[in-house]
Amino acid sequence: MNEQFRVAQKVGLMFRSETEIPEDIKGWAVSQLHADSPALGISSKYGKVKSWPQSMQPDLIERARLWRLYRENKKKERERKDGQELVSAKQANRQNNLMREKDEMKFAHRNVYGKDQIRMRLMSFWANHFTIGNTFDNESLIGHVMEEAILAKLNSSFSEMLYKVTTHPGMLIYLDNIWSAGEESKHTINCRKKIDCQAGLNDNLGRELLELHTVSPSAGYTENDIRQTAKVLAGWGAYFEMPLAEMKEMAGTTNHWDVYKQRYAEPGNKTVLGKVIGVGKGGLRQLTNHLALHENTVMHLSTKLCQHFVSDNPQKIDIDYIANSWRRSNGDLDQIHSAVIDRAINSKDEKFQWPMNWLFQVLRLSDATFIKGWQDVHNYDNQLMEVKKIFEELGQSFWSTRQPDGYSSQKEEWLSGEMFERRLRFADAIYNAGRPKTSPEKIMDRIGANMTTRNLVESAGGFRRSRFIALMCSPELMGLKSV
Amino acid sequence: MFLAGVPIPGYTKDKPPGNISVILLEGGMDGLTAVPPIGDPNLIAMRKTITPKDFLKLNSFFGLHPSLPNFSRLMAKNNASVVHATSFPYIKRSHFEGQNLMEGGGLSPFAEKTGWLGRSLDLAQVPGKALSLDMPLILRGYKDNDNFYPASIKNSNALISNLINLISMAHSKDEAEIFSKLSKKSSQASLTPRDPVSLAKYAGKEMSKENGPIASVIRIGQFDTHANQVSDDGYDKNGNHAKRLEIVDDVIAGYREGLGDAWNRSIILTLTEFGRTVAVNGTRGTEHGYGSAGLLAGGTISKSRIIAEWPGLSKKEQFEGRDLMATIDYRSVCAACIERSLGLDHDRIASEVFFTPKLPRVYDYIFS
Repeated sequence: MNEQFRVAQKVGLMFRSETEIPEDIKGWAVSQLHADSPALGISSKYGKVKSWPQSMQPDLIERARLWRLYRENKKKERERKDGQELVSAKQANRQNNLMREKDEMKFAHRNVYGKDQIRMRLMSFWANHFTIGNTFDNESLIGHVMEEAILAKLNSSFSEMLYKVTTHPGMLIYLDNIWSAGEESKHTINCRKKIDCQAGLNDNLGRELLELHTVSPSAGYTENDIRQTAKVLAGWGAYFEMPLAEMKEMAGTTNHWDVYKQRYAEPGNKTVLGKVIGVGKGGLRQLTNHLALHENTVMHLSTKLCQHFVSDNPQKIDIDYIANSWRRSNGDLDQIHSAVIDRAINSKDEKFQWPMNWLFQVLRLSDATFIKGWQDVHNYDNQLMEVKKIFEELGQSFWSTRQPDGYSSQKEEWLSGEMFERRLRFADAIYNAGRPKTSPEKIMDRIGANMTTRNLVESAGGFRRSRFIALMCSPELMGLKSV
Repeated sequence: MFLAGVPIPGYTKDKPPGNISVILLEGGMDGLTAVPPIGDPNLIAMRKTITPKDFLKLNSFFGLHPSLPNFSRLMAKNNASVVHATSFPYIKRSHFEGQNLMEGGGLSPFAEKTGWLGRSLDLAQVPGKALSLDMPLILRGYKDNDNFYPASIKNSNALISNLINLISMAHSKDEAEIFSKLSKKSSQASLTPRDPVSLAKYAGKEMSKENGPIASVIRIGQFDTHANQVSDDGYDKNGNHAKRLEIVDDVIAGYREGLGDAWNRSIILTLTEFGRTVAVNGTRGTEHGYGSAGLLAGGTISKSRIIAEWPGLSKKEQFEGRDLMATIDYRSVCAACIERSLGLDHDRIASEVFFTPKLPRVYDYIFS
């Protein structure tokens, strides 16, 4: 591959055919960190690329209102009231009030049509790092976290992103923090006086905040550090189903992203990894600031960034380069991401591409229309699959039910017959249903395909379908070593 | 006759004596919920709100969760056993380190790139099959292992094996091998549904075939019930943990059905990364713990038992004052199942599969 496409594969999503290919690839890549980032997509499969309508991208207050409506209708459905038990009413309730399918389609559109390819890759990296599995109760929040806590914070600091993700209702629901109460909190003390009342700490989010999101087990923290972290977190919650006025009474705020329930909070200072954390709502910010610059966090995440963008087997020198920029800039994400781009370009190692990124890259290179338009998000198409189904079949979706350690960037985790069969089948389906506008020959010329790829496509014979499948499943396009 | 003495792959070796299936329970299965030690007075004292009231009675000390009726019937038929207060020797309560150890079978987390079952199959030179989209770590380590998880992709037609062969030739090493194997497979779309119970039936059927796989692995997730382990109405059958156990029970029944006559040479075992705290937390759930229980089923078991050196549940008997203690190294249980199904020598399994030459042999407790 020529240098431009090699870099665009490693840290981006490949150049679409209408895009001018930059001369200075490194300068371009770094400037991409601040690229305009509107959500681009198509309204129908015959439509032009344009911005997603605001009405389909509701804010948190509107998402909460829709979710409440959904639950009220479900209640009516059980009680067989207002005709809500009818199939059409149930369907309308799902389509109008749940956000998952719209959000997932928007995510796919952005990645296929966006002019902010490096920002998209970084959004996916961090969304995976801060995995929020689908518990259904948080399904309408996952897209919001990705856009507002991650994408919108890409040019801030890691500590800011960490705090925003940790306090987001999507995360607080996923890792069970919403009912966690300090052992000496007013709520728990009051509860102890009653029969059969259960209250106390839940350490799920505290544990993963240390293990996965920041310092990792290499920091040698103890079970007590985890409990103390859970105590800092106790009180942070969500009242997603409550009318705003009621929530204001309970939590003193109308902001769904800032719910701290004093009654659930643990009094007194806490100590995590030797650091004293103050009492009250401000304690969490102290803790996330501390963790964001902790030496074990720096090394843990510099390594993880390297494994995703630089090489399956990163060199220590590459990890140190990123870690140094982290330390020097106090965790400034622009600096960190620039360092990642630098090392990705510098390293000539192939980088295995996740199934979802491979799919986006194939669609961008071939100019295929494989994702339905937003007008048709709930309409059946006899050619194109549901977006939800595409990701499910790929074995990778940010809206799936999964474990909080997220998807691995390592090649070994993705090697299996069934996984590879999916690549063949998707290449076939994209060719058959997506009607690619750019031919395999044209693609090979643009990207400067290597001899192995050219020979493979040549040997596949005269049928364009076979040539297309061969090209897209070549080691070069999958980010693997060619023979 | 001139071929005499020349080994033909797959035909000259003796077929191993049995087959082995592993059900991975991800998230930390609560042994005290699945097999509650109702005879231990501390159980109800500490777990009143989450202990099933309508448990099935196994003996005077142990009960069985009501979501496990198939397993209970197999116990009654002397075709199933429970190992209790057991775990892999891992005490740090991280899912991801714990899962890596229970599948990798290494001495420290992330030390092994292959799994204990994969290494065993490599020693026996017989293949296994994973019923998942990915290749789980536990099965990695033997080249003929494969996976099955049928695709459902609109507008994808039958693939040409010659084309896949060409693609394979452009790839290197492991990747080339995988594509090459694919080119030999039928590309006919499979109609098998992808729920764990249907996959278990399929796996059983495959293993019952003359040249079928000797091992299989199925994954069931979401045992990590930090909240609402039992339902709001307090009726345990609707709780989060009960629903998962129901799947385990149906998967075992699915295997039984799929295996048919091959059931008589089968062993099925569950595997989880850790148990859960003895005490209930503030949100009607439990936190990550240590000791748990393992469920074993199959026609190779001829006497049902509850195998345990019960450590007790009082505060001072708990591990670190919070978890059920593990008194049996579950690797020994895995080793016994390998010995029974693959016919490998225990000492060889101990040193070459688990890198622990002194691993105790518990074969007789399970299979005699």
